Amino acid sequence: MILETLSLLAEINGSITLGLAGLGAGIGIGLVGYGASQATGRNPGAAGKILTISIVAMALAEAIAIYGLILAFGGK
Amino acid sequence: MPSPSLMTQTLESFVPDILAVSMSAQNLFGLPWFTNSTLVALIVLAVVLISFKKATKNMQLVPSGFQNLFEALIELLYDNVEQIVGPKVAKQCFHLVLTIFVYVLVANWFGLLPGVGTIGGLNSEGYVVEPLIRPATADLNMTLGIALSFMILWILLTIKEAGIVGFLKHTFCPPGGIVGFMKYALVPLFLFVGVIEIVSIALRPVSLSLRLYGNVFAGETLLHEMGGLVQTGGVVIDFICRVLVPLPFYFMEILVGALQAMVFALLCTIYIHLSTAHDEEEGH
Repeated sequence: MILETLSLLAEINGSITLGLAGLGAGIGIGLVGYGASQATGRNPGAAGKILTISIVAMALAEAIAIYGLILAFGGK
Repeated sequence: MPSPSLMTQTLESFVPDILAVSMSAQNLFGLPWFTNSTLVALIVLAVVLISFKKATKNMQLVPSGFQNLFEALIELLYDNVEQIVGPKVAKQCFHLVLTIFVYVLVANWFGLLPGVGTIGGLNSEGYVVEPLIRPATADLNMTLGIALSFMILWILLTIKEAGIVGFLKHTFCPPGGIVGFMKYALVPLFLFVGVIEIVSIALRPVSLSLRLYGNVFAGETLLHEMGGLVQTGGVVIDFICRVLVPLPFYFMEILVGALQAMVFALLCTIYIHLSTAHDEEEGH
C-alpha cells in the first residue's frame, strides 16, 4: 500500500515540477508581451528596439520552464 | 500503451513511451568518443565553412548571389551589436557573435531535414532508437562546449578591454558617485554584492547551454511524438497522418531554431556589454 502510494507520488512529482515552471514562465512571458505592446503603442518609432529587448526577455523567462522540462524527464 | 493498474507503475517504465529521442547521443561505429551528434556537428562545420568560403571568393563592389546573402546577414547583426556594445568593442567581438549565430542557426535547422533522427538501428518493436544522425544542438555536450568557449573568450575580452583591476573594481567597489564617509561605510555591502555577481557570472554557461539544449531537444521530441499520435490501423491513413500532423509544429520548429540562435548571440553581446561598459564612462 505504501509502496504504491510512493510510486504514484513519484509520478505526480515530475509533473508538479513541470507544471509550476510552466505556470511561472507563462505569466512572465505574458507580462513581457503586455509591456512591449504598451511601449510600442506609445512610441511606434522605437518598435525595432522594443522587439529586440522583448525577445531577449522572453527567452530568459522561458529558460526556467526548460529547466523544469529537463528536470522532470531526466531526473533519474 | 499504459498498463491497466496505474498505481503500480513508476515514471521509469513510462519513459520509453514518452521520450522518442534519447537524452544523450549514441556512439557510432563502436568508438567511445564519436557519437552521432558529433558527426552532424562536423557536417554543419563543413557546410558553414564552405559557404563562407564561396561567398568571399571574387568579391565585387555590387554583390550578388551568396555574397549578397551574407552581406545582408552581417549588416542585420552588426547594427544590433553596435547599438548594444558601442562602436569600439563591436569591432573586436563581432566575429565571435557572428560565428555563434551562424553555427547555432545551421545546427538547429539541420535537425529538420528529412532523415535526421529517423534512419538507423531499430529496436524490437520497430521504433528507431539509434538514429544514424541526430541534430547537433540536441546534445548537451555540444551546447555546453559553445557556452564554455564563449565564457573563456569573454574573460579574455574583458581583460583586454578593462584590465583585471578594472574588472575587479567594477564588480566589488561601490560606484563612484558616493562621496565622503558613506563610501567607506558601504564597502562590506558591495563586497557581498560582488560575491553574488560572481555566482551569477558562474551560472551563465549553465543557463546558456540548458536553454539551447532544452529548446532543440523538446522540438525534436515534439515532432517525433506528433508523428506517432494517430494509430488507427490502416497503413495509408497512418502514413498520411504521420506526415500531415507534425506540419504546424514543423513551422514552429523553424521559428524556434532561428529565435534560439538569435537569443544566444544577443545574450552573448549583452554579457560583453555588461562587463566592458564602464570603459566608456571614464572617457567622459
